[in-house]
Amino acid sequence: MFFPRAMTEIELVVPSADLVEVTKMIGDQGIFQQVDSAYLSSNKAPGQTPSWQERVSAYSTMERRIQSLFSTLNLNEGLPPKEGLQSMIDLESIRPAVDGIEKEVKDVTDQMTASRKKIDQLETIRQQLESLTDIDIDISAMRNHRYLFSILGTMPADNIDRLKTSLSRIPYFFEVLRQDPQKSVVWLAGTQNNSDVLERAARSAYLNALSLPADYQGTPAEIIQTVNSDVKEEHKHIDELSKQLVQLSDKYKAQLSLLYWNVHTSRLLADAIVRFGQLRYTYIIVGWIPSSYLENFQQRLKKVSKEALLEAFPAKREGKNQDVPVSLLNPALLRPFELLTTTYARPMYNEIDPTPFIAILFPLLFGAMFGDVGQGLVLALLGWLLTSRRVKKLRGLASLGPIITACGVIATIFGFLYGSFFGYEDVLPALWIRPTTNILNILIITVIAGVFLLTLGFLVSIYNAYQRRDWGNLFFDHYGLAGLVLYWSLVGLGAGALSPTFPIPSGVFVVGIVIGVVGVGGSEIFRHLVEGHRPLLEGEAGSYAIQAFFELFETFISFISNSLSFMRVGAFAVAHGTLSSVFFILGNLVDPGHGIFYWLIFLIGNIFIVGFEGLIVGIQTMRLSYYEFFGKFFTGGGRRYEPLALKPTENEG
Amino acid sequence: MATGVNAYAAINARVRVMYSTLMTAQDWSGLCESPDLAALTVALKRTAYGPYLEKVNDKDLTPRRIVYQVRNRLADVYVSIIHMAPEQSRDVLLQMLRYFEVDNLKAVLRGIVTGATWDRVRFVLFPSTSLTNLPAQAMMEAGGVAPAIELLQGTPYYATLSYAIKRYNAEQNLFPLEVALDLSYWRDLWHNVNRLSTQERTPALKIVGSLIDMNNLMWAIRYRVYHKLSEEEVINYTLPFGYHVHDSDIRAIAAGADISQIVKRIYPDLQDVEVLLDEGGKGLPELELQLKRHVLKQCRAAFTGDPFTIGLPLAYLALSDFEIQDLTVLIEAKSSNLKAEEFQPYLIAGCAENH
Repeated sequence: MFFPRAMTEIELVVPSADLVEVTKMIGDQGIFQQVDSAYLSSNKAPGQTPSWQERVSAYSTMERRIQSLFSTLNLNEGLPPKEGLQSMIDLESIRPAVDGIEKEVKDVTDQMTASRKKIDQLETIRQQLESLTDIDIDISAMRNHRYLFSILGTMPADNIDRLKTSLSRIPYFFEVLRQDPQKSVVWLAGTQNNSDVLERAARSAYLNALSLPADYQGTPAEIIQTVNSDVKEEHKHIDELSKQLVQLSDKYKAQLSLLYWNVHTSRLLADAIVRFGQLRYTYIIVGWIPSSYLENFQQRLKKVSKEALLEAFPAKREGKNQDVPVSLLNPALLRPFELLTTTYARPMYNEIDPTPFIAILFPLLFGAMFGDVGQGLVLALLGWLLTSRRVKKLRGLASLGPIITACGVIATIFGFLYGSFFGYEDVLPALWIRPTTNILNILIITVIAGVFLLTLGFLVSIYNAYQRRDWGNLFFDHYGLAGLVLYWSLVGLGAGALSPTFPIPSGVFVVGIVIGVVGVGGSEIFRHLVEGHRPLLEGEAGSYAIQAFFELFETFISFISNSLSFMRVGAFAVAHGTLSSVFFILGNLVDPGHGIFYWLIFLIGNIFIVGFEGLIVGIQTMRLSYYEFFGKFFTGGGRRYEPLALKPTENEG
Repeated sequence: MATGVNAYAAINARVRVMYSTLMTAQDWSGLCESPDLAALTVALKRTAYGPYLEKVNDKDLTPRRIVYQVRNRLADVYVSIIHMAPEQSRDVLLQMLRYFEVDNLKAVLRGIVTGATWDRVRFVLFPSTSLTNLPAQAMMEAGGVAPAIELLQGTPYYATLSYAIKRYNAEQNLFPLEVALDLSYWRDLWHNVNRLSTQERTPALKIVGSLIDMNNLMWAIRYRVYHKLSEEEVINYTLPFGYHVHDSDIRAIAAGADISQIVKRIYPDLQDVEVLLDEGGKGLPELELQLKRHVLKQCRAAFTGDPFTIGLPLAYLALSDFEIQDLTVLIEAKSSNLKAEEFQPYLIAGCAENH
């Protein structure tokens, strides 16, 4: 639980004849993470790689065509069939079926596109004419005039003045029929003698003449009526075509799904094979599987290929293992909290997975800051609602549901401890402490809790260094043993100063501080000494001393600020109670008789607290967890485990 | 809203620091004397452009890529200045940056029309910034000018281009699209400047107005001399405002008046104007270069006036752009192994004699 799943690197040598079956077996299991081993290919392998690559490309093209049909027919690929999938489907055998469906669908969609285009054209005509509905003239009469040249159209409003300027030398009539900030409907007229000038001026001013088909006759209002009726006809046509599409999707749904999964599976297999090493008669397959599956994997391999050879290399936890994929291994109850871990970073293979810590720490810190029975229950209910995926619009947040539920439950428990119910502090007895009346106590308690949490961080950091066999950091890092000694000596000295009856003499802590200062201050030299690195000191002693001094100073500051940072837990517990009382005061001011307005403000206040304060407390909890706790030991940077799977599975993220 | 010293103290200090990183006469002299492109690149790496060139492997530093990397610095300068600028002047500065976006848009449209690939076009473009959002690659891959323009919905260019596209469809020529973009761009910049307070407007007009004058005048002359457009077309394709160049000047040019007389009246310091205009249009690039040098002087002068206005950042940005234009000439000249006397006349400020 505290480490990612143990992994084993395997190398398979598979005869060419068994290649497809072995690849399919690997894909079916969904546990094998492939490593690209194409570089192992022998150049003597006669033209096989391009052939697999061509297959990948052909399968991809076919997959896209089927997906495009899904999209047009408003279908999805559905679930893969339980059986009957072919390993490498022959594309020529399915091409006629896909071509046929495509043709049928295209016939309908082409007609729909044509109808939509026609509607667009009709809409343009209608828009052009809408500004002229009050003009009672026959538009067609303006065409082919013998003495009058006229243009009715639209143009950018900014160009109007310039157009008038450009026509200053000839007589003309210009009227803005409708003025929009961007587009103006205008009428420009003049004599046929000046038609060249008028036309050039209109064109260069971007006056776009109204383009009406010749068969539209009458006044603008009459034409709009005709256009409306044509648009209606086209919409009716589109409705009929949509029904045809629905019929087609019903007819081909199952067939398309089967075709898709066959092609998809074949594409995945071909894609995997491209990245195998190819020798003359064999293929080399390299990758990772969880060690616990190795035996089963070997048995299944033997069933599909008697001659395949397998060599396994279990990955060790010690040392640097950056290439090993990381699959987190936590009980189902803790798994939702992996989200919090991976949002920060994915642990390295040889690093402690902090999920179990965060699964306890996160709800605990949240609950301590948000302790209220009523509001905690509301939050828990909200978390349950998210987890249940009952509300369609909230499904995207389902992964947060269990975390919110846990936070709500712990907040409820703290609510009992604080004696708080929807902000009322006099309904329930406080089983432990009332933060609003014991401010100093709660602050001191949270700082002490913080000191223990930070110590846990130190210990995990030391353990991680041990796992890496990184002795230098284990002993001398400021989050290593030297840092721990320094930190606890400072804590002890502080406690001794505050409490005259403290049992341990301060001299012990002074010695501890000296040891810590020497260890952390001289960490670079000691590290070099442990690692056998020479020279021990790089650069000048003076500059090293200055650097060491400032690093030590920063370490002191960070120890103090990290510890005091936990004071915010107490501060928020106090603020939570105080904020509730603010809404009670407001309610009393608005409605002293505790009528409907009092309860309305009570409701608004609680919504505000659960929503807004809940969010702020969540952010603070995340800050404490990530910065104060994870920051001490968690390096991260592990590789994600992404096994090859022919069917969609719910692999951990 | 902060004004004057309050608003511009920080940006003034920053711009002055950046001004000191513009290349000196000595830098230019060193660059101009570089025997070839490789030596020029090495010399450039020692300037403020160095970090941008270091980001790319030497083998990938083609002339086009060098220019692209150099322009990256200007992009960063713009973003940095805009972020520091007081709220009231941000629109103007942002619009100045859009000049490069408009240029990119034209380059993308040309790329679409000529069937160029994205790889060929991408380094011709001005580098994108966090303040600009042209979907250049998607446009290149849209399959045509009209679908590419559709991708511009939500940008300031869509409305302009959706008018002009009808002419493009009819004429299959990018000219109407480019003119529409230019007019809309400068019109917006002019409006933005005029929205500034009186105290801010005057120094801003000195820089922006000078740039508008230069462009408007050159458009009018080119439309008449090169394109032989009619009077009404020249008027519609130009702007009715400017700093020294007035609408009456543009209309006179459009109507066929003596261009050299008009230019000499507006810019008495320009040399050989008749000769340049007598060459049937061949001298127009030289005329444009002289106008750019005139703007350059205006920009340098901004550093001696009231420092607590928008004039200072505007002037610095224009100077940076001119510097990069010169570097572009120099990089292309060195990659074509041109002699100094062949490329120096095309530099705005570069090389010792122009400083």
